[in-house]
Amino acid sequence: MSTWIARGLHRGIRTTRYPGAQAEMPQEYRGRVHITEHASQDALQHAADACLSRAIELSAGSARVRTSRCFQCGECARRAPEAVRITSDFELAIVEGDPETVRRRLRDQVRSLGRSVMIRHVDAGSDASCEQEVQALFNPFYDVNRLGLFLTATPRHADLLLVTGVVTHAMAEPLRQTYEAMPEPRVVLAVGSAAASGSIFDLQDVVGPVDRVIPVDVRIPGAPPPPLAIIHGLWVGLGHASAHFAAKSST
Amino acid sequence: MRGAEQIGVREALQRVRAEIAAGRRFVGAYYDTPGDTREICYVVADRDDLTIVAGKIDEEPIPALSSELPAADWAEREMRDFYGVRFDGIPESRSLLPDANPWANRRGAGSELSTILYGPVRSGIVESARWIIETAGEDFIAVYPSMFFKHRGLERLFTQVDVARATFVAEHVSGATAASHATCLARAAEAALGVKVSRAANATRAALIELERIHQHLDALAKLADDGSLAVGSAQTFAAKELVHRLLAEATGNRFARGAVCVGGVFDGVAQALQVVCTRTLDGLEHEVRSVVAGLFATQSLLDRLINTGHLNADVVREHGAVGPVARGSGVSTDARMSADYLFSINEGDEVLVVDGDAAARARVRAEEIKRSFFIIRQALSVEGATVRACVEPSGRNGTGIARVESPQGELVYMVRIVDGALARVWIRSASFANWPLFVHALPGNIFTDFSFIEHSFGLIQAETDR
Repeated sequence: MSTWIARGLHRGIRTTRYPGAQAEMPQEYRGRVHITEHASQDALQHAADACLSRAIELSAGSARVRTSRCFQCGECARRAPEAVRITSDFELAIVEGDPETVRRRLRDQVRSLGRSVMIRHVDAGSDASCEQEVQALFNPFYDVNRLGLFLTATPRHADLLLVTGVVTHAMAEPLRQTYEAMPEPRVVLAVGSAAASGSIFDLQDVVGPVDRVIPVDVRIPGAPPPPLAIIHGLWVGLGHASAHFAAKSST
Repeated sequence: MRGAEQIGVREALQRVRAEIAAGRRFVGAYYDTPGDTREICYVVADRDDLTIVAGKIDEEPIPALSSELPAADWAEREMRDFYGVRFDGIPESRSLLPDANPWANRRGAGSELSTILYGPVRSGIVESARWIIETAGEDFIAVYPSMFFKHRGLERLFTQVDVARATFVAEHVSGATAASHATCLARAAEAALGVKVSRAANATRAALIELERIHQHLDALAKLADDGSLAVGSAQTFAAKELVHRLLAEATGNRFARGAVCVGGVFDGVAQALQVVCTRTLDGLEHEVRSVVAGLFATQSLLDRLINTGHLNADVVREHGAVGPVARGSGVSTDARMSADYLFSINEGDEVLVVDGDAAARARVRAEEIKRSFFIIRQALSVEGATVRACVEPSGRNGTGIARVESPQGELVYMVRIVDGALARVWIRSASFANWPLFVHALPGNIFTDFSFIEHSFGLIQAETDR
C-alpha cells in the first residue's frame, strides 16, 4: 500500500481546475459544428446530406445545427469544408427555455442539497463509451469529488440522475422507476447525443431520447461527451453561473 | 467462403458437424432472407478462414445444433426469439429477450433456494443487464443471465444507411471499442465489394485497435483493483487509461477513435496525426502503463482475491466457443490476429496464453497483451507507404463478405450482404455475445462478493451483446 502512495506523490497533482478555471480539449477534438457564413446553397445542402443523424437543418436558404443530434463523426466537414467548421468547443450543454430562468430554477432547486451532491447513473441503452466517460469523472485528472459530487448506490440518496444512451423499450420502465424512487428535488441530465436527442436511432426500434420517458433538465451532446463536457453539464445542472458556463438554449 | 449451390438446412447441419469434427470452431449462426428464401447461415472458423454454411429452411422445426453443441445455444435462441425460427430440441426453453415476468421461470421455486433479481439497474456506473441468481445463502447455486435490455435494432439500422457511412453505425454498436467495430464492418464490406486496402491503411487500423486494447484492458484491470478496495491502484490505472484517450483525441479528433476508420481505409490525415502523436507520447505512455500494471501484480491483497476465483477449465471454454482473454486465460487459443490475412499479423508464438483459468489468469493475459500491444503499435507505425483511401463504388454491386477483428474483448465478426449496392443484411457476432453464456459457468463454487471480480475479469461490453 505504501508503494502506491509513494507513486501517487511522485506523480504530483494532475487534476484539472475546471470548472474553476478554463480548460481546453486538444484542438483536433471534434466538438461543436459551426455553419460558415455566406456558404453557398450547394455547400450547405452537401453538409446536410452528409449527416446521418439529420443534425443540420436547412430552411429558407439558411442552415442551423441541432447540436444535440450531432454524434461528431466529422462527415459534414469532410464533404462540405466550405460550409462547415468544427471547433474543439466542448461546452455543449443545452437547457430548455431561457438559460437565466433555468439557471435560477436549478439553483433554487438544489440549494437545499448543501455542499455535496449525490449522483445516480442509469444506462438506458448506451453504446458503452458514455459509461466509461462518466467513470472517468472520478479519475485523478477530473476528480469530481473535489466539487462535492459523489456517486451513490441507491436512488433514495440521489439528487442528480445521469442517464446515458437512447432509451430502449426494455429500459423505459426501469428508468422511470429509478426516477420515481429519487426524492425531490431531483435534476436529470441526458448524457450523450443518443440520450439527448435519439441521434441516429430509428424510433421503430427504440423509445427515443430520455425526455420521452422522464423530464430532462440538461442535455449534454457528444459521442461520447468527454469528462470536461459532462462536468460542464453537471455545473449547469446545479445552477452555477459563470460567463463561459452559460448553457445554450437551442436544440 | 461460401458455396454457390443451394442446400437445405439439414445438409448444412451435416456439413457444420463435419467441419467441427475436423477441428474447426463454431463461431455463430444467423437468420437471413436473400431473395425469396429463408435461410440459416452457420459460421465456422479455423486459424485463417471464416466459412459460411448456408442452409435453406425447407423444413421446420429445424433440428437444434445446441442440443449437441453448447456454443450454438445463444445463436439458435436468438433466431428463435428475435425472428421466430422454429427449432426442435433447444435445451434452454427460456427466452433470450428480457422477461416481463422473470419470477415465473425461476427454477428454485418451491425448494430451499431463494431467487434474487439483480438488475437491470445496478449500483455504480454499469451497463444494464439482469442476473437471476439462485442461492441458498452465500453461494451461487445457479445463475441465469437475462440480457438484451439494450437492444437498439442496430443490425436493422445498417440497412437504412449507405455503405460509405456504415462505419458510423458500427461505432454505435460499441462506442467503447469503436475502432474494432468500424474496422470489422469495413473489412466485411471491402470483402463483399472486392476492394483492396493499402497495407499502410491496414497498419494504421491495427495501431488504433491496439490502442483500444490498451485502454479497454486498463479499464478491466482498474475495475478489478477497485473491487479489491485498492483505491489508489485503481485511480492510477484509470489515470493511465485517460492518457490513452488523450492520445486518441489528438490523433483522431475523438477520445475513442470514432470517425477514424472508413470503408476503403482510414480517413485522410489520421495516419500522419497518429504517427506524430505517437512519436511524441508513446514512450511516456508505455512507461506509465507498465509501471502501474506492475504495481497491481505486486499487490498481494489484490492477487489473493483473483487467484482461484471464477475458475473455468479449458474444455468448458472450448465447448462454449469462448474467445479473447476469457479463452486465453484458460489456455485456449483463439487470437484472430494470427490469421494470415489479418490487418497486421502476429506470430503464433506471440499469442498470450495462461493456463490457470481463474480471474488472475485473465488479468495476467490482459497485462501481458498490453505490453505486446505497444510493440505491435510501433511495428505498425513503421509501415511505409501512403494510406490513400481505396475507391469504393458499391452502386449496382452484389456480394457477401465476412471478416473478423481481434477486439479487446476477443474475436469480433461482421457479415455484410450487399444487394444492388445497398446493405441488405449485416450480422454481428461480438466477443461479448460469444462469452456471456460462459460467465455463469464461472460462478458456482464462488460466493456473492466474488461476483464483481469475475464480471470484471471477463471485461465484456453489454452494448455489443445486445446490439
